[in-house]
Amino acid sequence: MRRRTVKAAAAVAAFGMSVAALAACSGGGDGGGGGEGGAPTEITMLVLGDKPTNGRLEAMLEQLNERLIEQANATLDLYYIEWADWQTQYNVQLLSGDDNVDLITTATDWLFAWENAEKGAFLPLSPEMLQEFAPQTWEQVDSEGHWEVTKLDDGEIYFIPEDNFTQWTNHGFFYRGDWATQAGFPDGEITEFEDFTTYFQWVKDNVPDAYPWDVAGANEAALTGYLQGHTDLQTLQQVSAGNYYPFHTSESDPDTVTSWYMEGDELLEAAELAQEWNEMGVWREDALNYDGDTREQLYAGLSGVDQHHTQTFTGGVYDNLSTKQPGSDPRFFYWGQENGNYFRDILTHGAMAVSANSSNPEKALEVYELIRNDEECYRLLNFGIEGTDYIVTDDGFLDFPEGYDSSTDSLGANFWGGRMDEFELPRVTDAPNKQELFDQLDADAKDYPYSTLLINKDPIDPILAAMGSVFSEYIPQLQYGKFADPEAAIAEMRQKLLDAGYEDALASVQADLDAWAQNQG
Amino acid sequence: MDSKVLLLMCLPAVAFFVVFNYAPLPGIWIAFTNFNYRDGIFGSPFVGLQNFEFLIRSGQLWLLTRNTILYNLAFIVLGNILQISLAIMLNEIRMKYFKKVAQTLMFLPYFISVVLIGVIAFNLLNYDTGALNALIVQTGGDPIKIYSIAGAWPFIIVLVHLWQSTGYGSIVYFAAIMGIDKSLFEAAAIDGASAWQRIRYIILPSLKPTFIILLLFSLGGIMHGNFGLFWNLVGNNATLYQTTDIIETAVYRMVMSQNNFTTSTAVGLYQSIFGFTLVMLANWFVRRMNKDYALF
Repeated sequence: MRRRTVKAAAAVAAFGMSVAALAACSGGGDGGGGGEGGAPTEITMLVLGDKPTNGRLEAMLEQLNERLIEQANATLDLYYIEWADWQTQYNVQLLSGDDNVDLITTATDWLFAWENAEKGAFLPLSPEMLQEFAPQTWEQVDSEGHWEVTKLDDGEIYFIPEDNFTQWTNHGFFYRGDWATQAGFPDGEITEFEDFTTYFQWVKDNVPDAYPWDVAGANEAALTGYLQGHTDLQTLQQVSAGNYYPFHTSESDPDTVTSWYMEGDELLEAAELAQEWNEMGVWREDALNYDGDTREQLYAGLSGVDQHHTQTFTGGVYDNLSTKQPGSDPRFFYWGQENGNYFRDILTHGAMAVSANSSNPEKALEVYELIRNDEECYRLLNFGIEGTDYIVTDDGFLDFPEGYDSSTDSLGANFWGGRMDEFELPRVTDAPNKQELFDQLDADAKDYPYSTLLINKDPIDPILAAMGSVFSEYIPQLQYGKFADPEAAIAEMRQKLLDAGYEDALASVQADLDAWAQNQG
Repeated sequence: MDSKVLLLMCLPAVAFFVVFNYAPLPGIWIAFTNFNYRDGIFGSPFVGLQNFEFLIRSGQLWLLTRNTILYNLAFIVLGNILQISLAIMLNEIRMKYFKKVAQTLMFLPYFISVVLIGVIAFNLLNYDTGALNALIVQTGGDPIKIYSIAGAWPFIIVLVHLWQSTGYGSIVYFAAIMGIDKSLFEAAAIDGASAWQRIRYIILPSLKPTFIILLLFSLGGIMHGNFGLFWNLVGNNATLYQTTDIIETAVYRMVMSQNNFTTSTAVGLYQSIFGFTLVMLANWFVRRMNKDYALF
């Protein structure tokens, strides 16, 4: 469906780190095979993304499998959950319980790892098993004490975190330094969320073809961008109501659960700013129904800003925008920049689980050990075949061979559950100020304090579902400034959330947080 | 002997319904459980009606049920009236060539995907670049924010639905008209009946059984909206929910973002029970009026 395509595109942008993109559905392996000495065991790894059709993946796997057979008498095959409808397909695939998948890419913040672990989709991994079949992985994760973030309250390990890979998936605005300079910002640098009003007005007045912020569909960036920079509230990632994360704690009072949707005046301030922007014509009048590719609009000089991850900016937007709009001087303003209220990526933004139905869990771990820790395997899986898929420049940068077109030639192996900083290479397409930006982010970033917190959602599920539908009615309208009287609308929304059982859900989450805090000592 | 052949011919249809409609029925149980993969559908803990709770908690049950039923009533009533009129008009056309062309043209919208219809509607109606607003601006008017006017959408949706389904639906009625005993028309002609009289006293009464059967069928689906159409026309535009949100779109939003199989099954069950009750009631009512017209 059309909307799914959009979602797919957004998802690619969201999770396609670096140039890796697109890839489809291969038949699962039959998992057969004997032990050492017998025929190689086929291990199938579930990955997210569209299956590439350019033949490069197969060529790479052939070489990779030679090495895997040599090292572990196993071969690797990839099973793709495609971006179209991935949220449903991912869970349905795990739900179906068939044994054609051995390794499963997962994540606690976007791939429902906790929910699926609780529902029994993942094999509990004992320390002995990990030590025997994935010793280097065990050692590295253990030395940093990171197994703690992969355990349910039964104390078992359910997945292996991608804990040794630096990435920044905090959100912010990509904007143009050249326009900002002309709008009167010294050195083209915008440092406050509200200052975008000035920037937007300049775009409106001076670039008649462009929307100041061409934005499509339901999202809440205009609200969260403001809220993050004007409160010290931190979102509890463990509990969502529909697409919204309703509970927060504050940095000053990390033991008390609250909600920026329910308490304080900041939501109203954000909504009033959105209303002002809407009246200025910052976005299309019908942005909610519009589903164009807004990133392309930015590249075409038809949009003043776009919003997404730091990683998206350094890994693609900078290069694309500066190439397609020469002199545009791409810049990035991240939410919470004003007050340092943003977070490092959690360690389980990418992770790898072993399927509870795998017939060869030990072999699966052996294969994982190799693709994570063996540099040759790592490079094959992540970069491809040297010379045809990538080249390394004399000064050590990752580049593409002559005539390579990243939109049709990408490898698309999408290994997002165990990348390692030490094997990554800087890329020629990276933003030149990447390191500077990362250092700047690192200086003020907070660590998410609740990585090991488990919230029992069973008793509050109906409340969360009900709250989710209230949010889906009010938040998009607040985000696009569509209410004539935002104050009344927020009061109405808060009343409906109370009716839906907000207080009960809050109490339940608070109780779980209290119990967790007590355990932490 | 004969019945054997007939039964054999039924087999594919029976197999279809058994496999897709009856065999999965036990899965309804999932609506009453806190489902997990390990324990499976029947091993997961029983939670009673908890999965139905959110419908009431969100305060939307009434709005959604009302919208769904009103839309379907409009679809059914207006749809059937239009389809019957169209079938009669087609029947009255003597020019064979024109008849065929007209029929085909009216048939076409049925084959256009609702995704495309959504795109076409957006390009016609949107504020900034829509064709309608461009026309209004050209002629000196003020553009209309159609995607912000909740009151306009029931008309738009019903109109689009009728545009899409009338041609297709008229086929059944047209076929029924074709099946009317020709001697009735001949007798009427000899008695000097006008065209109006033929329609009033022969065609319309002959269509009654067809109409009732179709009505009973559509009543069973009265709780099931035309999801594709609504979703593609309205999507996530919360400004319009008041008048456009039907059970399916609300559930889709919830399920897509929460992956909750149990609550979606619960809603499906609610829809089905409501629909079942309605069919039984309507059928009972029809049978009381005229036994022959009832489904069973």
